Amino acid sequence: MDEQQKYARLFNDIDSQALITLGVVLLSTIVLIIVSQRGLNWLATRMHGQVRFRIFALVPLTRLFILITALAIVVPIIIEPSLRNMVTLLGALGLAIGFAMKDYVSSLIAGVVSAIELPYRPGDWVNIEGTYGEVKHVGLRTVDIQTPDDDLVAVPHLKLWDHAIYNANNGGTSLQCVASFYLHPEHEAGWVRKALRDVALTSAYLKFDKPIIVVAEEKPWGTHYRIRAYPVDPRQQFLFITDLTVRGKTVLSAAGVQSAMLPPDAALDARNAAESSY
Amino acid sequence: MGESSSAEAPLWAVVELDQFQTPEQTQASQWRRSLRSASTWLVGKQAAEQQVKEESELRALPDVRLAHLVPPIDWSPAAKALAQQLKSLEAPVTFFITPPHNGHVSVVKQWAEEHHIACVPTPTLSELAEGDTQWVERFVNYREWAVPALERYFLRHTQGIQGVREFLERALSGRLGKGVIGCDSWTYAYLQQVIGIDGAPALTLQSMEGEQLSRYFSAIATHGGQSPPVYSTRTGNQVLFDSEANRNEKAPYQELQRLAAHCRGHIGLAWHYWRERLREPSSSGEVGLWLVDALAEAELSADTGDIATLVLHALLIHGGLDDHSLGEVLPFSHHEALNARLALQRKGVVSSYEGRWQITPLSYASVRQLLESRNYLVDPL
Repeated sequence: MDEQQKYARLFNDIDSQALITLGVVLLSTIVLIIVSQRGLNWLATRMHGQVRFRIFALVPLTRLFILITALAIVVPIIIEPSLRNMVTLLGALGLAIGFAMKDYVSSLIAGVVSAIELPYRPGDWVNIEGTYGEVKHVGLRTVDIQTPDDDLVAVPHLKLWDHAIYNANNGGTSLQCVASFYLHPEHEAGWVRKALRDVALTSAYLKFDKPIIVVAEEKPWGTHYRIRAYPVDPRQQFLFITDLTVRGKTVLSAAGVQSAMLPPDAALDARNAAESSY
Repeated sequence: MGESSSAEAPLWAVVELDQFQTPEQTQASQWRRSLRSASTWLVGKQAAEQQVKEESELRALPDVRLAHLVPPIDWSPAAKALAQQLKSLEAPVTFFITPPHNGHVSVVKQWAEEHHIACVPTPTLSELAEGDTQWVERFVNYREWAVPALERYFLRHTQGIQGVREFLERALSGRLGKGVIGCDSWTYAYLQQVIGIDGAPALTLQSMEGEQLSRYFSAIATHGGQSPPVYSTRTGNQVLFDSEANRNEKAPYQELQRLAAHCRGHIGLAWHYWRERLREPSSSGEVGLWLVDALAEAELSADTGDIATLVLHALLIHGGLDDHSLGEVLPFSHHEALNARLALQRKGVVSSYEGRWQITPLSYASVRQLLESRNYLVDPL
């Protein structure tokens, strides 16, 4: 009987007024989260440049703020917020989480950390465990990444704890792109370097306040050239690489520069190298 | 440049590029344009444009009267100011740059004519397309030469920049004698990045404040007589004064200052606004003229697509292009470029001038703002 009374004291008496308050808080929280998330996303997608990324960064932060405020209102209504009650409640919760919902709660906590540390924001281009794409939504438990193939991949936030997060533009508008050219060893390297630089300089997508670098690397089968440059908008990256590649090939073939004929094992090496350079 | 200092300022001043200053309220003008765009989207164009005088009560001026009130700009004072500045410069090449519709071609041509200096013919389109650099040899025949429009000397592709690179490298090193190059400010910004022309002095026309615009529009409208009073349909206030006595009062130039800020102080753009927006009352009893809301130009929406944006940027960098050349400098097919150009033409954002598609003067300000907001390379003016 004493035990029963002790646990009963943990929770406040929930009368009809408290129920109505809880209902109103719950409803307001849901409505506020939906409105703020959709509103900010809608606004950000209509913006360009740095403003777009700043608004996107507000999306998870706003949701976190609303949730914390709602919890701060709800908890004192349900339980008497004394030290003993809190320890009892947290102990019980910890036990449940430890056994049953470890990964789920780990993702939720990582979601809170991601809203503060900002390893990724909507609009960022990230690579998490080989999944590359644009962050579309940072949810409570997962981050939604849209790949270039138009797949939407939900990655749990808990990857934050033990996996590297590659962020290509880190909340900004500068995203480096790489266009590769594999050339036969017999060519005038100085001319090729200059020609590839001109290819980048005359691209309609080029961002001029970032450097253009042409990298040449000698291989047993020939020379691997890379143009490293930045497009005006990160979303133009594939169009930019295509433009550099198509025009680069045209210029090189018009000058009689031949592509390298790679043996199969070298071709695999080159493909791996190109993938790792993203 | 405050109003007190600009009251004595000459109308035509040629200054070094880094001394160029936009008029007062230019930043505010950009915010106003964004706000206006948002309010037009929210409440519609009619409600967003509050007018004291309804446009339906006004009519366009007959062509003859308009030609008297707003004759074409006489660029000879600017050419004289340029000549004055050039006297003190010893560099082998001097650039004279202005934004689109702001007269660098006319100014350099007039300067060259007055000083009996040859304007070297532009290379042909096929010479540019093939990357031919033979046309540079034409300059060897002249000790002094002028290029009124450098934007006609290149195309933005790998072949199209070879000639202008060769030309500028030789000219800047002094191997082609002495020359003055007129250049669109967007072309200048692009070539600065692609070739590097920072070493050569660059001159431009100083911006005009509202008071200077008032003086200029009064002067061209009077022809020695009296200019008619002009009122604003937006505020109902007088914009241009009908007598010298009124003009000498501490005149409120808000409306023309607003126009100056909107045009970033460029007289060529302001002239187009003035000419397009003057109206007269429909009823014969009323006197004076009206200036309809000067800034209600062909607006570009914030969600303008990438293809349209790239077309606009290409047109600005080349100082206008024909359809064929436009297709050559854009990274998509000719028909896509043509479709985008047609859509922009329907909106009144581009128009054809001497066979080249250009940004219309009344759309220039919003196009520049759009490109700047999307991180594209913009001109220094």
